[in-house]
This record gives sequence, structure tokens and C-alpha cells, in this order.
Amino acid sequence: MSTLNLDVYMPVVILIVLATLVAGGSLLVGGLIRPHNPTKLKETAYECGEEPIGTAWANFNVRFYVIALIFIIFDVESSLMFPVAAVFKRFNEIGLGGTLLMSVLTFVLVLVAGLVYCWKKGDLDWVKSFHATKVNIAAKEK
Amino acid sequence: MNSTIFSYFSQSKELSTIISGLSKSLGFDATSLVAFIVFAIACLVVVGALATIGGLGTYAERKISADLQARQGPNRVGPYGILQFLADGVKMILKEDIIPANADRFTFILAPFLCMIGVFATLAVVPFSSGFTLTDLNVGIFYLVGMASLVGVGVFLGGYSSNSKWSMLGGMRGASQIISYEIPATITIISIVLLAGGLSMGTLIGGQGGMPQEWYMFHNPFAFIGFFVYFISALAETNRAPFDLPEAESELVSGYHTEYSGMRFGLFALAEYIEVFVVCGVATALFLGGYKVPFELGTGAILVEKLGLDIMLAKNIGQVLELGSFFTKTFALYYVVIWVRWTLPRLRVDQLMTLCWKYLTPIAIFNLLGCAVWMYAFNGKSIYSLIFETASTVAGHH
Amino acid sequence: MFSNTLFMLSAALTLGGAFAVVYSQNLMHACIYLLASLFGVAGLYACIGADFLAATQLVVYAGGVVILMLFAIMLTGGTGNKINRYGLEKVAAMGNKKTYFTAGFAAVVTSLIILKIIASVLRAQPSKELAANQVTVEKLGTLLATDHILAFEISSVMLLGALVGAAIISRPRKEKHD
Repeated sequence: MSTLNLDVYMPVVILIVLATLVAGGSLLVGGLIRPHNPTKLKETAYECGEEPIGTAWANFNVRFYVIALIFIIFDVESSLMFPVAAVFKRFNEIGLGGTLLMSVLTFVLVLVAGLVYCWKKGDLDWVKSFHATKVNIAAKEK
Repeated sequence: MNSTIFSYFSQSKELSTIISGLSKSLGFDATSLVAFIVFAIACLVVVGALATIGGLGTYAERKISADLQARQGPNRVGPYGILQFLADGVKMILKEDIIPANADRFTFILAPFLCMIGVFATLAVVPFSSGFTLTDLNVGIFYLVGMASLVGVGVFLGGYSSNSKWSMLGGMRGASQIISYEIPATITIISIVLLAGGLSMGTLIGGQGGMPQEWYMFHNPFAFIGFFVYFISALAETNRAPFDLPEAESELVSGYHTEYSGMRFGLFALAEYIEVFVVCGVATALFLGGYKVPFELGTGAILVEKLGLDIMLAKNIGQVLELGSFFTKTFALYYVVIWVRWTLPRLRVDQLMTLCWKYLTPIAIFNLLGCAVWMYAFNGKSIYSLIFETASTVAGHH
Repeated sequence: MFSNTLFMLSAALTLGGAFAVVYSQNLMHACIYLLASLFGVAGLYACIGADFLAATQLVVYAGGVVILMLFAIMLTGGTGNKINRYGLEKVAAMGNKKTYFTAGFAAVVTSLIILKIIASVLRAQPSKELAANQVTVEKLGTLLATDHILAFEISSVMLLGALVGAAIISRPRKEKHD
């Protein structure tokens, strides 16, 4: 096995193809036997029996975007941590565990500082308006 | 390093004779071809088995909920109603397929496919037994995390494309919930990687043993907490109650799949039930010793030694025992997932985000650092072996 | 044998996805095609034996960045109307002749520059066989923990900056009273 053996990725490709086949196949088979009488009423979106008003594609709240941004940063952090964590045991066995522990601690604690900052500033709160009004009220009371 | 189900089968002599015979008759090296056939058959077996498990999952869900609420549950189709899922499947296929006129057709059709692909692709690294792992990639668990995140895209697109307000809210909630809870889950996985010293499923399970005290869950107090952090995050990632906000029927009708009917809805449901199995399997592999059987019965060495069996036969028996061990633990967790669903009330969306970012993520980071310090301070020994050693030295002194 | 198939599939997915991103007039569809393209890139990484990089591509780009982009598109209200509330066309230059011309010109220039850079690599004799399957994770980890420890630590500071920046940018502006 001196050459790069990519056969290990075979199941991944096969499974992706199979997933498509299972999903597409069941829909195709169903297409042969299921009824198909679309009416205008059937094809409207459900809005509790009323006729839908406007489109659902509205401008969304920015908090979803904040969550996604924070998620990406932690995602990158964890992908950097994975290789270091994978060698930690080996480093520990040859007596270098202390140095690696220190570097991991530094790395994580710097990010924890960021998390604490976001927490204190209220960026992790879901209901922001409430928080803001509380601050305002406190400011007015002074 | 990469071991696959093919490398397990190539231990037997028959396969190598088939390969050499085919290579002669075809005129080129047939190893890849035979590997492809073996993989294709194994993938079919896994997909078939998992689709059945997913179907039986819906049956188990209804039966267990009936038990918890002192009802009968499905009991008409087949003995104890066990064929109910087949009847449901036939019904799904026969249902009319409706695509809303205002929907984004391309995305509407694509969304269930994305969910299915994301879930099925994770099956490639699920360790059913030491031999029956489709492919034990070097980056196993990391690959699984990446593939599973496709489901989030599928859920979001399902919600977006319907152009219905309920679906849109459900899709946005679903996507943000799935990505948020990925963080504590991933950090907890890192702490286990730290204990095991590798990312492949083989390494992660290889560091554990068959007996409970050898599992990573009981390795140290941090890993013990980590198990619960992972389990809660996994529940949220798969949109299971009490975190089923994306499909909360009391507020969002049916959430991101409100507009989906028939088999398109069925694909979402099937993907969800299989994903629950996969995350239970991962929890088993990471924390509960995976496929390990007590007394190293899984390798078959003892059987050869004591009973004088043929080596390959003993190995196969060992594999069956390992499969039994893995499925027992996974189904036990699956039962807990269903049990939790019918016990706890649903969270509010702000509580959900608070739980993730203000409780689980800090706890997961604390566990990660705790595991690192434990590894360094006690040289990687588990709490059981520490107690055992202390006890034996104390006993030795007296 | 299979490595060729994997390469072909990944390359087709990458190029096809990238083309469809430029071709599509619908922002949401473009984002989905981008997901396909990023998936293909992950496959290409797997082809050259960089399995950890491939998985990182999946986790960070396919799972993270695409979701972020979808959310960002939803901030503008999806693609229901092609004109935003300020009366500007949202996807002004997507899918018309100008796009193809600009993209084609940019592609030619970029590929010429890249070819110039890698010319020495192309002229060199190819090695007899590819490297064996290696555990790239542990090599990466060892390098990150020894030679490149400074880069590892500084990256955390960079991530901290990104985290704080993201939080500040998205914070609602305080209305000034008085």
C-alpha cells in the first residue's frame, strides 16, 4: 500500500448516490400511482384557512445572523483544536504534555474572553429589546 | 490506517482467490472492482437496515408514547401493530404531491434530498462493529460533524422554499438551532478526542473497553458531564423534543415542513429518524465503549483458544457479539430519546438559545480544559484505575 | 481507477457549481450552487490525500459559511422581489452578457498568472507515485503544537477580534436621546 489509496472514500460516494436514488426513486414510483388533481386552492400556502397575505420572504431579524457569525468563529476554533487535541495524548506520553496544555489553555481562554465579552454586552441574549429597555430604564432612574 | 469493511473481508482466503481469478480473466488489477462490489453490497445492507430502523423508530415512538400515556398505540397492522410503518409508507407514496404555486420549486424539491444526503453520508463512518464499519476514515468523527451540518441547510431551504410564514419561521429557527447546538457537541467531541488521541472511530473506541469502568463516560468526572452535554446537544441538533421548536405544532402548525405532503414529507421524517439513530450511535461510540464486548470476546481470540474454533469463524462470532453490543447500547439511548420526548415540555425559543450559549457552551469548554488537565495530571489514567491503584497500595502497606 | 472517478466527480461538481453560481439570477439558488461547488472542492482535497482539509472544508464552508450566507440573504428579504426598498436592483449584474464577459476575462488573466507561478512545478519531473495514506491530522497537530505554535496562538487572537467585531457590527445602534 505505498500509493495513495482512495478506495476508502468509495462508501461515501456510494451512500450519497444511494440517498439520491432512494429519495428520487420513491418519488418517481409514487408519481406513477398517486393522484394528481391540482386546484388553485390546493396550491396556496397554508395560513390558517385565510388567503395568504403577501409573501413569506420578509427581511429577517438580525439576531439569526449574529448567531451564525458567532457559530462560524467557534467552528473555526474547533477545527483548529481537533489536530492539536489528537496529538495531546502522544505529547503527554513523551513528557511534553505540560507545554501543550499551556498552549491549549491560552488558545481556549482567549476565546473564552470573547465569549464573556459577548455575554456581558448582551449579544447572546435572544430578546434584545427587553435588555435594552431595562438598561434605558436603569439609566432614566439615575 | 484507514481500515474498511473491505479490509475485514480480505482477511479470508476466498476473497483473495476471487480477486486474483478476476484479475487474470479481466486482464487488470481487480482489487478496486471487488472493493467496489463489496462496498456497494455493504452500503445497500446498511441503508436497508437503517431505513427499517428509521421506520420502526416511528412505530416505537408511537408505541412507547402510548405506554407512557396508558393507551394502546398502533395495534391493527400485523402482530402488535408492528407493520404500521409499512402501511404508513404506502400511504405516503399514495398521497398527492402538492407544490405550492408561490413556492420556489427548485429549492422545494432539493431540500428533502439535502437532508437525506446529509444523513446517509454520515452512515459511512458509523462503527457498527470492528469489522463492519463501512469505512474507518482517519478524520472519522470530524467528517461526521461536517456531513451532519448539511441537514441544517436542508431544513432551512425546506422552510424558505415553501413561501409560507409558518415554514419560514420554522426553517430559520431550525437552522439557527442546529448550528448553535453544533458548538457544544463539537467541543465535547474534542474533549473525547483529547482522551483517545485520534479522530478515527477505531481509535476513539479502541481506547475503551467492554466493561463500564473502561468507558470514556466513566474515565473522569469531566467526561461524565460531557456525555450529558453531548446528549442534550444531539437532541437539539436532531430537532427532537424538548427542542422541537422548528416543527412546534402548537405555534408553527408543522414548522419547516408545513407545505410538504406525501413522500416529500416522508423523506424529511425518515432522515430525522435515521439521524437520531446516528447521533445515538456516536454517543455510544464516544462515551459508552462503542462495540466493545467484555473480556475481549470481540476479537475471537478466546474462542479460538478455549473452544478450538476456526480463526475466521471465531472472528465472525466476535463480530456478531460486537454488533449486539453496539445495537443494544444505541437502542437503549434511542429509547431514552423517545422517553424524553414524551416527558418534558417544549422550551421557548429564547430559553433554547440561553441553554446553548450560556450553559452548554461554557460547560463544554470547561470540560475540554478539565479533560486536558486530567490527562496531564494523572497521565491519562481513568478514575477507576486510580482508585484501584490507591486501594492496592494501601492494602499492600497493611 | 476510483481515484480518477472521484477526481472527475469532484472537478465536475466544482466547475459546474461555480458556473451555475454565475449563471443563476436567483441569489438563493446561487447560494445552493455554491454549496455544490464547495463540496466539490472538498472532494478535490480528498483526492490529493488531504483528508483533514477536506473535512474542514465540509465543516467550515459547507456547514457554516453557506448557512451564514443564507441568513445574510434573508436579512435582505430573500429573493421575492428583485428590487430592494431603495429601488436598486439586487442582482444587477448576474446572468447577463456583461457577467460572462467580465468573468471570462478575469478567468483568462487569473489562469495566466497562476500558470506563470506554477510553471516550475509543471515542468518538473513528476514523482513516480503519490505519497502513501498518511495520518495528516497528527502531522498537522504536531506542527501546530511545535513549529507553528505562534501561528496557532495568534489565530485565537484573530478569532477573538472577529468575534468582538461581529458582535459590535450587528449590535443595534443606540438611539441618542436628549
